[in-house]
Amino acid sequence: MQSTRSRVGWGLGSALIVVVSMFPIAWIVMLSFKRPEEIGTNPSFLPRNWTLDNYRQVFKINLFTAALRNSIGIALIATLVGVVFATLVAYAIARLEFRGKRLILNFALAIAMFPVVSLVGPLFNLWRNIGLYDTWLGLVIPYISFALPLAIWTLSAFFREIPWEMEQAAQVDGATPWQAFRKVIVPLAAPGVFTAAILVFFFCWNDFVFAISLTSTNNARTVPAALAFFTGESQFQQPTTAIAAAAVIVTIPVVALVLLFQRRIVAGLTSGAVKG
Amino acid sequence: MTVTAEPAVERSPKHRRAATTDRVKAENRLGLMLSAPAIIIMLLVTAYPLVNAVYLSLFSYRLTNPDQKKFIGLRNYVTVLKDSLWWQDVFTTLLITVLTVGVELVIGFAFAMVMHRIIFGRKTVRTAILVPYGIVTVVSAYAWFYMFDLQSGFINSWFGLGDFAWFSHTWSSLLVIILSEIWKTTPFIALLLLAGLAQVPEDILEAAKVDGASAWQRLWRVTIPNMKAAILVAVLFRTLDAWRIFDNVFIMTKGANKTETLSFLTYRQTITRTAIGLGDAVGVLLFLSVLLIAFIFIKGFKVDLSRVRGG
Amino acid sequence: MRNSIRLLVASTLLTPALVACGSSGGTPKLTWYINPDNGGQVRLAQKCAAQSGGKFRIATSILPNDATSQREQLVRRLAAKDSSIDLMSLDPPFVAEFANAGFLRPFSAEEAKGFTDGVLQAPITNATWKDQLVAAPFWANTQLLWYRKSVAKEAGVDPTAATFTWDQMIKAAVQTRRTVGEQGSKYEGYMVWINALVASAGGSILDDPQAGADAKAAIDSPAGKDAAVVIRDLSRSRAASPTLGTDTEEQARALFQSGRGGFMLNWPYVYGAAQAAVKSGDLPKSVVEDIAWARYPRVRADLPSKPPFGGIELAIGNYGKYKDTFALDAVRCITSAESQKAYMLDAGNPAARGAVYDDPDVIKLFPMAALIRSSIDAAGPRPITPYYSDVSTSVQREWYPPSSVNPDRTPAKTAALIPKVLKDKVLL
Repeated sequence: MQSTRSRVGWGLGSALIVVVSMFPIAWIVMLSFKRPEEIGTNPSFLPRNWTLDNYRQVFKINLFTAALRNSIGIALIATLVGVVFATLVAYAIARLEFRGKRLILNFALAIAMFPVVSLVGPLFNLWRNIGLYDTWLGLVIPYISFALPLAIWTLSAFFREIPWEMEQAAQVDGATPWQAFRKVIVPLAAPGVFTAAILVFFFCWNDFVFAISLTSTNNARTVPAALAFFTGESQFQQPTTAIAAAAVIVTIPVVALVLLFQRRIVAGLTSGAVKG
Repeated sequence: MTVTAEPAVERSPKHRRAATTDRVKAENRLGLMLSAPAIIIMLLVTAYPLVNAVYLSLFSYRLTNPDQKKFIGLRNYVTVLKDSLWWQDVFTTLLITVLTVGVELVIGFAFAMVMHRIIFGRKTVRTAILVPYGIVTVVSAYAWFYMFDLQSGFINSWFGLGDFAWFSHTWSSLLVIILSEIWKTTPFIALLLLAGLAQVPEDILEAAKVDGASAWQRLWRVTIPNMKAAILVAVLFRTLDAWRIFDNVFIMTKGANKTETLSFLTYRQTITRTAIGLGDAVGVLLFLSVLLIAFIFIKGFKVDLSRVRGG
Repeated sequence: MRNSIRLLVASTLLTPALVACGSSGGTPKLTWYINPDNGGQVRLAQKCAAQSGGKFRIATSILPNDATSQREQLVRRLAAKDSSIDLMSLDPPFVAEFANAGFLRPFSAEEAKGFTDGVLQAPITNATWKDQLVAAPFWANTQLLWYRKSVAKEAGVDPTAATFTWDQMIKAAVQTRRTVGEQGSKYEGYMVWINALVASAGGSILDDPQAGADAKAAIDSPAGKDAAVVIRDLSRSRAASPTLGTDTEEQARALFQSGRGGFMLNWPYVYGAAQAAVKSGDLPKSVVEDIAWARYPRVRADLPSKPPFGGIELAIGNYGKYKDTFALDAVRCITSAESQKAYMLDAGNPAARGAVYDDPDVIKLFPMAALIRSSIDAAGPRPITPYYSDVSTSVQREWYPPSSVNPDRTPAKTAALIPKVLKDKVLL
């Protein structure tokens, strides 16, 4: 039972959290509606003249539309393959006892701690020699590799909660192994797999270091790299408002995913400790 | 997810011999087979490039002058470790790490407490908190940069700072970088702490309340000690993440005004200057520093990784 | 289990498709890597492709805004022998490095003649390495002294006087409480300023740039000291921009156009940009009418100034498929006199061929055309060395921020740093 005062207190706390969390987003949205000429001439928070020009420009520029395409495609493929691989490992970890289990988990942990920037030089050379430089696969492979630890942990945590005996119980009841798997295990495992997929997608969507080092053209450049090299038309000027518009566009899928799957994401990041 | 000890199944010597049965062997094989794709890909992307980096760091090698590649052993490492720029960047990185992790711990804890307690608006708060987590770091960097930049920002006019050029000075640039980093990553630490918070046994807290302990005392004497494992894990991950900070520095200052971090130094030597030998030496040293930090945490603070390792 | 195998197979089969993404048959396609310039080069590419009568098409790929990033993008790919780089718009200081590394296709004496006839000297010098022409001069850039007539009148100075010096200009700005716009951010533009000062003072940054890693630094000289004095005086005076340490070309222009504008050192594009701002209503016409121009000021009253040199040299990648055939045709078209004139009128970037400056259309749009040309003729190029980016970064490191420049220490420290950097004895 919370007293009114403490309820108000917590209420204010939550309001503060919401404001602080959303404030920079609100700012970049405001920026995206400003006219480019407002930059450098006594700027304020709100746009003086609202305009959609920045969005129009962003979609006209091939750099950005290609980058969106690349980001979506690469992130989806990496997520798909990565989650599949991670599911296999997590299943093995949750259900089997085998030599090297600890080693694999420690290795995954080590990968998560790795300073990625130390690898970009040699990786670039390797990709160049194989022909993977500036291709989707050239990014997909490192993404899978570095997203795997996160996926493995999330999935291990979820799989540990699954009552595996139910699979056997179903078989005792007369189901074939495949039916047991499909009708019992899959629905139980699906939420965890889905959560892992979202987290992996976020990781791939966000990566910057690989994106700027292993791509050079619209063939494979993803949105973070494109944002950093968004030069706009002018020779000397940074297209602040256009970048803001591009930034907003690339944030929309993230916000949508968060809105829809907030519960799952929290469960995944807290290894299932926090539900509902 | 709780901290559980490994099931210690005792087997008598007789059983142990018989335990290496076909079933165990089959399980071993299956386990390794299932893990193989993941292991292979993780090895490919890290082991080979790392070995290559170590190998090339033993050479004096400029990408644009490949004919003059020369083996010089460990001299690149000596050059780096004697260089004041390296130590300056170590210091800057350390500063950023300590400040971001320290502040995030406090703020993240506060967020976790709020999320734990509130009932009304829980979904809104959780959603709001996750947005910084999911947002692209480059976008966050631009948002904060434009906020403080003289050309586009409103901070100066809101706080009456006139012409102050945030990005012309070291400490003010670092402040903005740190703010952006804190804003972006507090959600993650808040959630890790929330998980730990959710596991503090309610009955002990109730007992403490009945005994007359104040909220503050309950916090310090009951909640936090019971969360030690979660806190340490959160601090370890955030420390390593902060140590490797790159995106914010790249977008906001490109390392100017003594705001360069170790990751950026590596990037600059290998990719911008194409001084491959020297750059790879920096990269290897960065990798070793990460190992060192992890070692300090795991052995020194005895961080219990079983909860994340799933051991 | 079966699903994962299927996925593995599928992704392996997809690999060739993914890798081959982007290649298509049909008309030979040349890829031209350009610097951002408001679309001028894109239009030029279309024109030249059309002129070829369908023999080839030119696709442009835009590089980042600043020269250092442009180099960074190109170097790695060329070092890995990328065959998709057919043409590239290079910033002059980087030509030496690329040529030395074998990235550029040199021109034979025959071919070179077409690219150097009637071209101003500075662009040619910067496009030559080891006595071979390795790039075709495309456009040439230099900085002028822009000033407000009202401010000059109030201060009683005549910037167009033959011996107008930096010292006089700074004093005039302080006296009238106006500013001198310069680029002092830690980037290539600052190096441009420093180099121009050192050259104008009669010195140079390197002694024998062609010696590559063995080059000796010459910046620790009276000329270097004079240059340091100018920078120190400006940055510590009231005439400096409040954000001098982060100012680039655009900030300098914004300052010059504002109520505190007095003088500015900048590239000629600012004039067209100011007029465009008037047209869009963001700048009052009176400001543009108050703008006048003069040659880059002298450092020493007795030595003619050496204005900065910039521009773009057009080079052919040495690994491209069409380097001996269509690429050559494309370069000939793009650097022809009429193309250069059209580009100058379109994008506002001055031509490399001298005759263009006499064209009445050009003079109408660029009333200062003759001054631009004479400035380019007198320009002092930045050191022509394969290690240019290292030299530039070293100089920037010691001389930044502008307010920290010390005439007694900074040139000496720079001269000590450069050889160490060239020999990989120090991190940069």
